Amino acid sequence: MAKVTDMVLWDKPGERVLLLGNQAIARGALEANIAVYAAYPGTPSSELTDTMAIVAKKAGVYMEYSTNEKVAFETALAAAWSGLRAMTAMKHVGLNVAADTFLSAVGMGVEGGFVIMVADDPSMWSSQNEQDTRVYAKFANVPVLEPSDPHEAKEMTKYAFELSEKFKHFVILRTTTRSSHARGDVVLGELPEEIKTGKRKFGNFKKDPSRFVDVPANARKFHPIVLEKIEKIREELNNCPFNRIEGKEDAKVGIIAPGLSYAYVKEALHWLGVDNVKILKLGTPFPVPYGLLEKFFDGLEKVLIVEELEPVVEEQVKTWAYDKGIRIPIHGKDLVPRVYEMTTRRAVEAIAKFLGIPTPVNYEELDAKYKKALEIVPPRPPSLCPACPHRNSFFAIKKATHSKGIYPSDIGCYTLGLLPPLNAVDTTVAMGASIGIAHGLDVALNGVPGEDERKTGKEKKVIVATIGDSTFYHTGLPALANAIYNRSNVLVVVLDNLVTAMTGDQPNPSTGQTPHGEGRRIPIEDVAKAMGADFVAVVDPYDIKATYETIKKALEVDGVSVVVARQVCALYRIGQMRRKGEKWPIYYVDEEACTGCKICINAYGCPAIYWDEEKKQARVEPTMCWGCGGCAQVCPFGAFKPVEGGEE
Amino acid sequence: MKEYNIVITGVGGQGVLTAANILGWAALHAGYKVRMGEVHGMSQRFGSVVSYVRFGEEVYGSMVPEGKGDVILAFEPVEALRYINYLKEGGMVVVNTKPIVPVQVSMGKARYPTLEEIRKIVEEDFKAKWIGFNAEELAIKAGHVVTTNTVLIGALTQIPEFPLDAEHVREVIRLSVPPKAVEMNMKAFDLGVQAAKEILGL
Repeated sequence: MAKVTDMVLWDKPGERVLLLGNQAIARGALEANIAVYAAYPGTPSSELTDTMAIVAKKAGVYMEYSTNEKVAFETALAAAWSGLRAMTAMKHVGLNVAADTFLSAVGMGVEGGFVIMVADDPSMWSSQNEQDTRVYAKFANVPVLEPSDPHEAKEMTKYAFELSEKFKHFVILRTTTRSSHARGDVVLGELPEEIKTGKRKFGNFKKDPSRFVDVPANARKFHPIVLEKIEKIREELNNCPFNRIEGKEDAKVGIIAPGLSYAYVKEALHWLGVDNVKILKLGTPFPVPYGLLEKFFDGLEKVLIVEELEPVVEEQVKTWAYDKGIRIPIHGKDLVPRVYEMTTRRAVEAIAKFLGIPTPVNYEELDAKYKKALEIVPPRPPSLCPACPHRNSFFAIKKATHSKGIYPSDIGCYTLGLLPPLNAVDTTVAMGASIGIAHGLDVALNGVPGEDERKTGKEKKVIVATIGDSTFYHTGLPALANAIYNRSNVLVVVLDNLVTAMTGDQPNPSTGQTPHGEGRRIPIEDVAKAMGADFVAVVDPYDIKATYETIKKALEVDGVSVVVARQVCALYRIGQMRRKGEKWPIYYVDEEACTGCKICINAYGCPAIYWDEEKKQARVEPTMCWGCGGCAQVCPFGAFKPVEGGEE
Repeated sequence: MKEYNIVITGVGGQGVLTAANILGWAALHAGYKVRMGEVHGMSQRFGSVVSYVRFGEEVYGSMVPEGKGDVILAFEPVEALRYINYLKEGGMVVVNTKPIVPVQVSMGKARYPTLEEIRKIVEEDFKAKWIGFNAEELAIKAGHVVTTNTVLIGALTQIPEFPLDAEHVREVIRLSVPPKAVEMNMKAFDLGVQAAKEILGL
C-alpha cells in the first residue's frame, strides 16, 4: 500500500491502483501535462487540490491555494490564455463565486486547454444547497463531462483538456460527492516527459484587446461565437469515447444514463435480471449529441432517462424528439426524484416501475423495519471537536451577550455552533455572508449614526457575527469594508484557527504558508485596523475569561468592533502532535468536587464529556479529551482536573 | 464470488476511513474490482459516519445499496442500527460494544438504548447474526485504543464466507501502519481474530 501521493506521480503505466475519484482526476491532469492549477478548497472537491499541492513541485506544475474561487478561476484562466494547460476546481457553490468571471470570459475562449472541475453535492452532505452545475453549463454554453467511476474520471480529465484545446473553449468536468469521494481501481497511463522531469512550463500571452477586453463593442461579437462553438462541440461529441450505446441492439425499450447514474443503472438492471434493454451511456450531459440520440432511438418504443437532480438531459432529449416528430413515451422526472442523490435503490425503483416488474427487495417491508429500528437510535450530528477553540469563543459570546444577541455566522466548522447546547448560530447563508447579514440586521433593527430614529441603550439589538479566517479572506473582506464604511454597529468575531479546517487543513493568508514554502502572512487585526474598524483586539479563546472580557468591552464600542479569537485548530494540532509522538494533558472529573450541576454538558457541550447516569455526575472520556482545559474553566466547582502524566 | 458488500459505521475520528482503505487494498491485491464510498468534510466531525467497501468480479456504484450489504462492521453499537437498512436479510453485524454517548443523550434530550434492545432488532427484525464484543478493551490490551479498528478487522476476517484471506488482510495492515505501530497492530488483529472465533465457536 503505497502513499497516495506517490501513486499519483508513479511512472508505472499499466499499474492498477486504488484511488479516490479526486486523486484520479489529479493524475489525469498530470497525464495531460497540466502547467497551472489554482483553487479554493470546497468539499467535495478539496482532495483534488490537496493532491495537486503535494505533487506540484515534483511535477513542475504551478499550484496555489487561492483566496476564493473567482480569483482561482482568473489565475488559471490567464494561464490558459497564455497557451498553457490550466485547471481550477471548486464545489458547486464555488462556481457561484466564480460566475462573474466565468460567464463574462466564456466568449473569449482560451488558447491552452482550460478545465473547470466542479464538484456537486446532491443530498447536501457538506453544503448549504443542492444545485446542478449542468444547468450552469447550459446557461454558459460550455460542455460538461461527467464521469461514472474513478478510472473514467482520470481518462475524462485528459479528454477534457483535448476538447478544450481543440475548440478553444471552456470545459467543465462535473463530479458529485459520490464520484469525487468514491474509491476505485484506476489503471495508470503515461506521464509526459515534462511532468516526469518536473520541468516548469511557461506560456506566451499574445495581446488581442478585441478578444480580451469585453467592452460592449467586443462583447457583442462573443455570444454568436459561443453558440456556434457549442453546436460544433455537440457534433464532435457523437464521437466522444465516453458516450456509447450498449445492451441489446434490437431492444424495444431504452434507458439513458448520464454520468454516475450509469453505474447505478447497470447495477439495477443486473439486480433486476433485466437484459433486453438498450442503454445510452452519456458522459456528456450537455450538450447531448443528436447523432447518437438518433441511432439510440432507432427501433425503441419507450425511453427512460435516469439522471440525478435537474432534468437537464431530459429537456434536451424531449426537445430534440419533438422537433424530429418522434412520439414515443419519454420518461424521466416522473419516475426519478428531482431532489437528493441518485442511489441504486432509486434506479431500481424507477426501472421496475418503467418496466412493470417487481423490485428484488421488498422496500416497503425494509422501510417499516428500519423505521422501527430508528426509533431507539439517538441523533448524533457532527459537533465541534473536543478542544475546538470555537466552542470557547461561542461560550464567551453567549455569556457576554446574556444569550440575547443575534448571531449571524458563516461557512466553516464553526457553523456547528448552531447545535445545542451552544445555539450560537442564527444565520448561515454563503461564504462571507455573516458580516453582510450582520450589517443588514443592524440597519433593519437599530439604524446607523446620522439617522434620527437610531436605537440605543436597551432598545438596541446586539449583533455578533462570527466568521472563520479563511472565509474572512474569501469574501468577508468586502463585507467588512462595507460595514465600516456605512457606519454599522456590530461586533465581528473572527474565529482564527490559522488554517482552513473544515475542508482538510489547507493554508490561507492567516496561515501564511503556501505549497512552495513561506508565503506572506496577513494578520486579520492589521486588515481590520487598516480598514478603520472602531475597536480591534486579539484574544486566545483558550482563556475563556479574557475572551469574555474583551468581547464585553468590544460590545460597548459604538461602531464596528473586530475581535480576532486566535488559537490553532485542535484537530490540526493533535494530528501534528501524534505524528511527533508528543503528549498532551487530559482531564478527569474529581468525584468529590462534581455536584452534578451539568453546566459542562448543558452550556459548554464538549463531546469528550458525558453524563454518568448512575452516579449523576459528569465524566471525561479519556480517549476523546484533547486537553484544552476549557471544562476546568467552565466548571464553577473546580471538578475538572488534569491527569498526571497526560496522554500521548 | 460475484460481489461482496461491507458497510463500515462509527463515529468520526474512530478510524472508519482507515479500516475501509485497508479492506479496499486487500481486495485490490486479491485481484477484485473495488468500489468504495465515503463522506468527508463537516460530516466527519464526531458525527455519525459510514463508509462502503464493495468488491467482486463486477461492482458498480460506490455505495452499498439498501438491503444488499453482506456485513455491517460497526465501531459503535447504535451506529450499527443507524445503517441497518443497508444489511441484507441474514447478513452479519460485527460490532464493538463500547458505546460513545452522543451529547444529546448527556443533555437528557435523547436516550441511549441498551445493548439488548439493539441486538434484538438486529437478530429478530433483520434476521442477522450478531458478533459483538468490546473491541476497545482488546485494543488497549494490544497497546493503544487507536488499534480498535484493527481488532475489528481481525474479527471480520473470521466470519463465514468472508472472501478475503485473513493472512492477506493482516499483511496489508502491516504495510500500511507506521513501522513503530506494526507490532501493536498485529497483536490487535490477532485479538480480534480470537474474539470472533470464540463467539462463532470456531
